[in-house]
Amino acid sequence: MVELRLPRNSTVGQGQFFPAPAGAKTVRVFKIYRWTPDDDKNPVMDTYEVDLDAIGPMVLDALIHIKNDIDPTLTFRRSCREGICGSCAMNIDGENTLACLKPIKDMKGDVIINPLPHMPIVKDLVSNLDGAYAQLRSIEPWMKADSAPPPDGERRQSIEERAKLDGMWECILCFCCTTSCPSYWWNGDRYLGPAVLLAANRWIVDSRDEHTGDRLDSLEDTFKLYACRTIMNCTQTCPKGLNPAKAIGHIKELQVERKL
Amino acid sequence: MNAPVSPHHDVMRSQLGRARGLGSGHSGTGHWIAERVSAATLLPLSGWFVVQMFRLGGADYEEVAEWGGRPLNATMLAALVISSFYHAESGLQVIVDDYVHGKAHVPAKLGVRFVTGILGLLGVVAVLKLALGRPAPKA
Repeated sequence: MVELRLPRNSTVGQGQFFPAPAGAKTVRVFKIYRWTPDDDKNPVMDTYEVDLDAIGPMVLDALIHIKNDIDPTLTFRRSCREGICGSCAMNIDGENTLACLKPIKDMKGDVIINPLPHMPIVKDLVSNLDGAYAQLRSIEPWMKADSAPPPDGERRQSIEERAKLDGMWECILCFCCTTSCPSYWWNGDRYLGPAVLLAANRWIVDSRDEHTGDRLDSLEDTFKLYACRTIMNCTQTCPKGLNPAKAIGHIKELQVERKL
Repeated sequence: MNAPVSPHHDVMRSQLGRARGLGSGHSGTGHWIAERVSAATLLPLSGWFVVQMFRLGGADYEEVAEWGGRPLNATMLAALVISSFYHAESGLQVIVDDYVHGKAHVPAKLGVRFVTGILGLLGVVAVLKLALGRPAPKA
């Protein structure tokens, strides 16, 4: 039934405090979610005072500084530091985004960092995305065509056909959108979520794919597709500026078109 | 010597197996269309109903029965009642999907259909009674 509060073992407590070094001029407070599977303790928010003059401009710079120079036990994912790998997706200042693309100066007051919402936690800011990855695989995000490709080269596409993929191929699968979606929080076991539906639409509109109908068949489900309530958090939060809500709307349009 | 006891797992099914689940229900589009069409039809029907209620304000039963006995009025009333309860049923289905999980889900969805169906039927019977069961005009 309806969950109105966090489970008892998930309520967040007060954690440790790490003061700024003496002589720091531009101090900013970072409050970061900490939880480890190694003990039976509840999660806590640790507080770090960071000297902004000592680090780069982005939230990821602050996290790396904290891990390197203040508290090496802090765990988070990061790789490319330029918004293309999707590893450092987390909830910063109440909004899912990429730590590497989020400037610290864009935020007022304390910077509060949580893992992506409503996913199982591996440790600290690392959430478990296995379920979402499996959902992506379930929509078979690869080209399916029965016609043989031309013997002398690749399957060709007109400029207009290629343009239809714009706004979808750019998705880096950080799952900021999926984990911002209340419908996914409620029914994440059955609803595919915006990131996976955007990927599904990317293959539905691909002129080279010949299994459009099969793809629509497998999506036509009260939950898989239609659990989308057009809340639009997905589009609001996407750190790449994409529009998963529009992609979902397009899938629904096609479902209606082939029924009427 | 005892081997270390591995932790118990409730679910060891693969993530892909869980994601595919029971597969597609191959339905939902009809419901999605019906929800929007019933919302669209309710707009003019509700407007018409509000205007009629203002016109009939203060009327006695005979006058209302006479009004409800006209075929156009009875048809509009029945359409309003059917659209309202159909739309209510669609909307409540969605609420059940969002908030009722586990074993209660299927009974809740069927229950919603049953209750809204009976209430809608009651409304239609009332409209028919008004339209067809009119007492003979007074001499």
